[in-house]
Amino acid sequence: MCLSDRGLFSGYTAGPFYDEMFSAQGCARSHYARLFEKLGVMAPTQFEDRRKHADLSFLLQGITFTVYSDGRGTERLFPFDLIPRILPQAEWARIEAGLSQRVVALNLFLQDVYGKQLILKDRKIPSSLVYSCRHFRREMIGLEVPHGIYTHVCGIDLVRDSSTGEFLVLEDNVRTPSGISYVLENRLVMTRTFPEAFQEHEVLPVNHYPAELSRILRTLSPRTDPDAQIVLLTPGIHNSAYFEHSFLAQQMGIELVEGRDLIVDGVVVYMKTIYGLKRVDVIYRRVDDDFLDPLCFRSDSMLGVPGLMGAYRAGNVALANTPGNGVADDKAIYAYVPTLIHYYLGEDPILRSVETYLCDRSDHLSHVLSNLPSLVVKSVGESGGYGMLMGPSAAHAEIEAFREKILADPRNFIAQPIVPLSVVPSYDSAARCMAGRHVDLRPYCLYDGQEVTIVPGGLTRVALQAGSLVVNSSQGGGSKDTWILRGEC
Amino acid sequence: MNRFHLLHATEFIYDGPVYESYNEVRLRPIHDDRQSCLSFRLITSPASRGSSYKDGYGNWIHVTSILAPHRRLRIEAESVVLVHEAPVPEPGSMPLSGLDAVRADLLEEHFDWLAPSAYVPYLPEIAEISKTAEAGCDGTVAGFAETASDFIHNSFVYQKGATHVNSSVRDSLALRAGVCQDFAHLLLGVVRMRGLPARYVSGYIVSGSATAGTKQEEVIGGQASHAWAEVFLPGSGWIGFDPTLGKPIGLRHIRVAYGRDYGDVPPVRGVYKGRAGQSLSVDVRFRPALDDSGHEQIAEAKSESDHSGGSIPERPQQHSQQ
Repeated sequence: MCLSDRGLFSGYTAGPFYDEMFSAQGCARSHYARLFEKLGVMAPTQFEDRRKHADLSFLLQGITFTVYSDGRGTERLFPFDLIPRILPQAEWARIEAGLSQRVVALNLFLQDVYGKQLILKDRKIPSSLVYSCRHFRREMIGLEVPHGIYTHVCGIDLVRDSSTGEFLVLEDNVRTPSGISYVLENRLVMTRTFPEAFQEHEVLPVNHYPAELSRILRTLSPRTDPDAQIVLLTPGIHNSAYFEHSFLAQQMGIELVEGRDLIVDGVVVYMKTIYGLKRVDVIYRRVDDDFLDPLCFRSDSMLGVPGLMGAYRAGNVALANTPGNGVADDKAIYAYVPTLIHYYLGEDPILRSVETYLCDRSDHLSHVLSNLPSLVVKSVGESGGYGMLMGPSAAHAEIEAFREKILADPRNFIAQPIVPLSVVPSYDSAARCMAGRHVDLRPYCLYDGQEVTIVPGGLTRVALQAGSLVVNSSQGGGSKDTWILRGEC
Repeated sequence: MNRFHLLHATEFIYDGPVYESYNEVRLRPIHDDRQSCLSFRLITSPASRGSSYKDGYGNWIHVTSILAPHRRLRIEAESVVLVHEAPVPEPGSMPLSGLDAVRADLLEEHFDWLAPSAYVPYLPEIAEISKTAEAGCDGTVAGFAETASDFIHNSFVYQKGATHVNSSVRDSLALRAGVCQDFAHLLLGVVRMRGLPARYVSGYIVSGSATAGTKQEEVIGGQASHAWAEVFLPGSGWIGFDPTLGKPIGLRHIRVAYGRDYGDVPPVRGVYKGRAGQSLSVDVRFRPALDDSGHEQIAEAKSESDHSGGSIPERPQQHSQQ
């Protein structure tokens, strides 16, 4: 089944990038064949109708996020594209194995770096690199965390390199990764919009995520009480992911609280309720480390709970994710993750990382400075696509400004070659046709200390602007439903 | 060897009622091979539930929490400390020129004690002092640290109120004046910029009159909290230098906590709710724990202290009784 002048796809060409849907010859890949057949015969107006239907579903459910950088703090709908990103189960199995390996290694690294620091003593990773991480929390050194778990929830960003067709890890997010609510909602909207497609495809389900997260949170409770109190701590309605916080709390049947709803008496955390104080056992916190406890961290935080770290240290409350995880997803530490995997697991990394230059290494720095127009430069402690330079699309003045920034604080920057991301056909509503748009993939990994559970697929983010490689929702990206097809290889 | 009984009282008076007050207290003297902390008790009024732990630098931190409204908070730390002879640099100290060869190793071992910090940024003015000290010293690391300490002692004026608790070295460099905290920060900057690891020491200096059998001696800064620096000298280990006093560390220096700078080790730091301003008073008293005729005075001291507040145990997870 190949591209020809077929309805919705008329005029579509795969272009120079790896196309997730079509082979280089313009034929639908086998795992996309049935969908292509179906969409191919669809008239553009029919497709438009379904698209409007889907948009309305998102609007009515209030699925939004907030953009910070434009100063308007506006809540937006998260743009959704109807063409799913499909992966065969065999390919997914390899990704899953690679992610599990990575999550376990990152957890071991955090245990070590806040514990015996063997990897530093063995000089496998510079201790100056660890100690200079902005998110390395000295307050966590020597603190024994429940069941030794740090990385309860990880979102690991993958991209497919068009030049090799191989999936690479782009970055790890092990602090308070967000986006899973879109995975669940996207699936819901897709099943409503294309119900027949789900009859024709055996798409692995994703809706067990809240139950699995809830199970893991429950195992962390310091009390064996079956009524252990689990809460989700949100910074509040102004946070970009507030929708997700309320969504997950509702899905898991737990209380959604803000810092002011909790109080620490001695070394026990309580929730203020109309029935009086109720003891809290587990906090799934979506408040950043800095703001978690004004006594321990930033004293100007109005979002946190003073004394919380004391209760945590005393073992009276569990926190997920563990404070201090930011040292593991620092973009300079990222360059050492293959080393961590070798060191802790004695294995070769299943998923490769993107080649990374550390600006505080003089040999790397000179390479970076002389190749800025062809590199992407990232600030090590930032996430969400903030504080980044895309060399090829940047103006000369922007590049020069970044050069100054790098020279002023080399430890704060890393650089990578631009990875030519793969594309998935996406509907361009202005041009009313399909066009290839770059995508990444963020699977969500849950770790209970024994096993890593990953809901099949994850969030496929798509750069909806033609040619753009930046998929972050904060930078104008959208998303797609991600299908892992059972039995396909 | 000196034995001291010390009482450190911190009192906050608020304009109006405050509540949900939480404090981190770093007042327990260090217990190691150079100093023994024989006893430590922390009492708050109003009474507090609390916990304690040892941080990554080995300091004891006591956490107090008082939920009910109050207008006054008194935190009293009482300890008995045995101070042993301070170590001195080994003879034949490493030449300064030898530092280059071990620079990378020192950074790996002592990152926190070498990196610029919030109160001690790397500044050209500090590098200048470093050069002056290097030119004036005997060329060894020990000589350099001592010369740097003396230089700061002689070039800066000890002046109460010249700076405030949140002042960085920028302020004291501009004023050429400061208090012990500033003098310690300056020395940290000077030796760190030359490649020697150094840590801030928060503690006490006991005035001569409190030391039984020793000659009365005027101590700058009075009978109160003190700060100085310890410098890591390869071959010798951690050696203390007191740029405020301009004299070697002796049996009257009591160490309480180590940090990168003052920001890591404020004696009392906390948060509370309520729209009220606060005033703070600190009172530190010492006496030799053995009197001139050798009588133990600790028991007497205990009976004198106010038991109206709850005491905070040193082990976490225990609650105090009121």
